[in-house]
Amino acid sequence: MTRPARRKESRSLRLYARLLELYPPAFLQRHRAEMLQNFADLEDASASKTALWLLIGKDLTMSLIPHFFGSRLGNYVIGVVFTWMLLFIIGYFFYGPTPGRPVLHVFPGVLLGMLSLYVATRLHGTPQGSLYVIGVLVAAILVFTIGYFRYGAPGQPILQVFGGFLIGMLSMSIAIRVYGML
Amino acid sequence: MTKSEPTLPLTPAVFHILLALFGRERHGYDIMQQVKADSGDTVKMGPGTLYGSLDRMIEAGLVAKGNAQDPRRIYYRLTALGQTTLRAETERLSRVARVARRQLGSA
Repeated sequence: MTRPARRKESRSLRLYARLLELYPPAFLQRHRAEMLQNFADLEDASASKTALWLLIGKDLTMSLIPHFFGSRLGNYVIGVVFTWMLLFIIGYFFYGPTPGRPVLHVFPGVLLGMLSLYVATRLHGTPQGSLYVIGVLVAAILVFTIGYFRYGAPGQPILQVFGGFLIGMLSMSIAIRVYGML
Repeated sequence: MTKSEPTLPLTPAVFHILLALFGRERHGYDIMQQVKADSGDTVKMGPGTLYGSLDRMIEAGLVAKGNAQDPRRIYYRLTALGQTTLRAETERLSRVARVARRQLGSA
């Protein structure tokens, strides 16, 4: 693979190389070397790191969305969100607009858990071998346990969020196994 | 899938890439710089957007890989369909601009 023609790779370039792993492998196989070269050129021409990373942040977000939602895994995530919306609407008509309903607290946790595992798997390889995932899981279980003993009530919103986080990670882990990455 | 007829309207990114490639082959960074210059700094394209668009444009038959020999860069060029599409879109935008000027002038 061609590497950018620079004497020394900057920290920004190394970080960008890491972030590129979020793209599908087939896309990277075609464009990785050139994207790194372009980043190096942009970095050389950029007056400030902030301006450079604002451009790259926007570019990553805008270009990753079509890749993600065009995949089977993306369709799975849309399915989860749609199902939750359906459950929420049904619940709303049966129980009324009660803001303290557990489903409202659990679901953001589910989404964060799914996103967290997806990013971790993209950046660190398989979820099984990732220290990051194990660390997050242990931390989530620890916070959940501490919260449970401190508040002693499973109905605490924060516990529901963390519960949702674990469910989200598990759900995404299963989805990645079934559908594969992008 | 390659088509033989231009599909309009184009997205701003596709239009600017076609415009940047008109008349000469360019590599990715050169395209980004040309797009920035052509748009008066209003369209700033990053590598992810550029190569995502180029993939779709190659698939649509608007752009092809060029012949320039450079081991570190891949060059891109317009195809005949790309040129036809660029001309058709420019004509369409001109018509829209004429209508807009007329309506603004009469307001």
